[in-house]
Amino acid sequence: MIKIEHLSKKFGDLVVLKDVTIEIKAGEVISIIGPSGTGKSTFLRCINLLDQPTGGAIHIDGVNILDPKVDVPKIRQKMNMVFQSFNLYSHLSVMENLTLGPVKLLGLSSREAERKSLDLLKLVGLAEKANSYPDELSGGQKQRVAIARCMAMEPRIILFDEPTSALDPTMVSEVLSVIRRLAKDGMTMAIVTHEMAFARDVSNRVLYMDEGYIYEEGTPEQIFEHPQKDKTKAFINRVRSFNYRIATPDYDLYAMNAEIETFCEKQILPVKTRGNLVLVVEEMLQMYNSLLGTAPLDLIVSYSEKKEVLEVVFEIEGVAVNVFDQNMFPDEFGLSIVKSLTESIDYQREGNKNSLSLLLKKMAS
Amino acid sequence: MNIQTTKVSTTMVVTVAGRLDAVTAPDYERRFTALIAEGEKRFIVDFEKLDYISSAGLRALLATAKRVKGISGEIALANIGGTVKEVFDISGFGSIFSMYESVDSALIAVNK
Repeated sequence: MIKIEHLSKKFGDLVVLKDVTIEIKAGEVISIIGPSGTGKSTFLRCINLLDQPTGGAIHIDGVNILDPKVDVPKIRQKMNMVFQSFNLYSHLSVMENLTLGPVKLLGLSSREAERKSLDLLKLVGLAEKANSYPDELSGGQKQRVAIARCMAMEPRIILFDEPTSALDPTMVSEVLSVIRRLAKDGMTMAIVTHEMAFARDVSNRVLYMDEGYIYEEGTPEQIFEHPQKDKTKAFINRVRSFNYRIATPDYDLYAMNAEIETFCEKQILPVKTRGNLVLVVEEMLQMYNSLLGTAPLDLIVSYSEKKEVLEVVFEIEGVAVNVFDQNMFPDEFGLSIVKSLTESIDYQREGNKNSLSLLLKKMAS
Repeated sequence: MNIQTTKVSTTMVVTVAGRLDAVTAPDYERRFTALIAEGEKRFIVDFEKLDYISSAGLRALLATAKRVKGISGEIALANIGGTVKEVFDISGFGSIFSMYESVDSALIAVNK
């Protein structure tokens, strides 16, 4: 159904996808997992041409959609996408959100579109919300409406870009149930997700993406129980870790903090510990500031529930540099803060990579 | 970060709310620079609503304090508690400033 060959994507000098080759057959459910910043969402967006690939080919039912002569809108009608941020039209009611596409693009009458849309809303458990507006819905309800809206266009494949990442934990299961039902009904789906149990349960195949490639792929059992490659093993076994890549000095501190907070909430870490972690990371990133333009910095936060140990690792490739030894803090304030909040600071160099590991002191709630 | 100012007699009470970090520290400095340019010389910085401070925030406090001292002005800090106080303590920042438990006690001290 979808055949992707040597797909690549660059944003300026930043290579996000190097060489991705994969086939997705009709009826398959593919989960795409991996650390943040490794191109999973970009991969989905390239399939749907929301991002224009830099190279390679994407064949949908034998037609290369990157060929300039192809009627792209027509091909894209075969696919639809569910986004992390729902993307419903806030000025339209739920019913209007669902019927807009079928009426304007599929040529359905309003009556027929409404009839079908009501069936879809029943499918996602929201028939009574047909006349509500998106602002009146919870996050989980909005996402279920977004899925129903996708279905209204009768796609042959649905792409899900972290469909539950913006939801609080209480709403995640209602959305995953809808996706499970679609899988049972035979919908072809590609799902970028951090919900590992869900990915294991619903998928035919799991792709682990890293380094700009499909680093490893296999059945859920192969990937989750018997990963073969090092990074897959590290990712699966340390699923209680959070990876964040910082590519430039202009990184979004608050976006990163939000992800750190989300990780800490999931581990049910005390508020004080979260605050200390955010502070230590901010102070350390000030030390790395001069290096951020030279190579990406990987931040890996991992928590061992057994040992109650919170570790944050900073990895950057390049010349050998221990930022702590070279005391690259602008003054003594940051240094004092980091030393007071950490139990140990350990530098290692492996090949071309500098790795600085900090263990945070245990804090009471 | 949100900064509100209230003039009490000859003293400008600057209430800082939210976060004083690498992102917001420049705004804090800019605001103080503008207040000094408007002729203000006596300041109390009220930290009651500040949730978070990093070394970038501490540097901004220090830089603005130096500017105030440079115009023979006065600056005092009030309502430093919680995690902000802890950062002050562990960074050794607490010894640099005059700190008061309330804006009222700071006003009395600054206007002596």
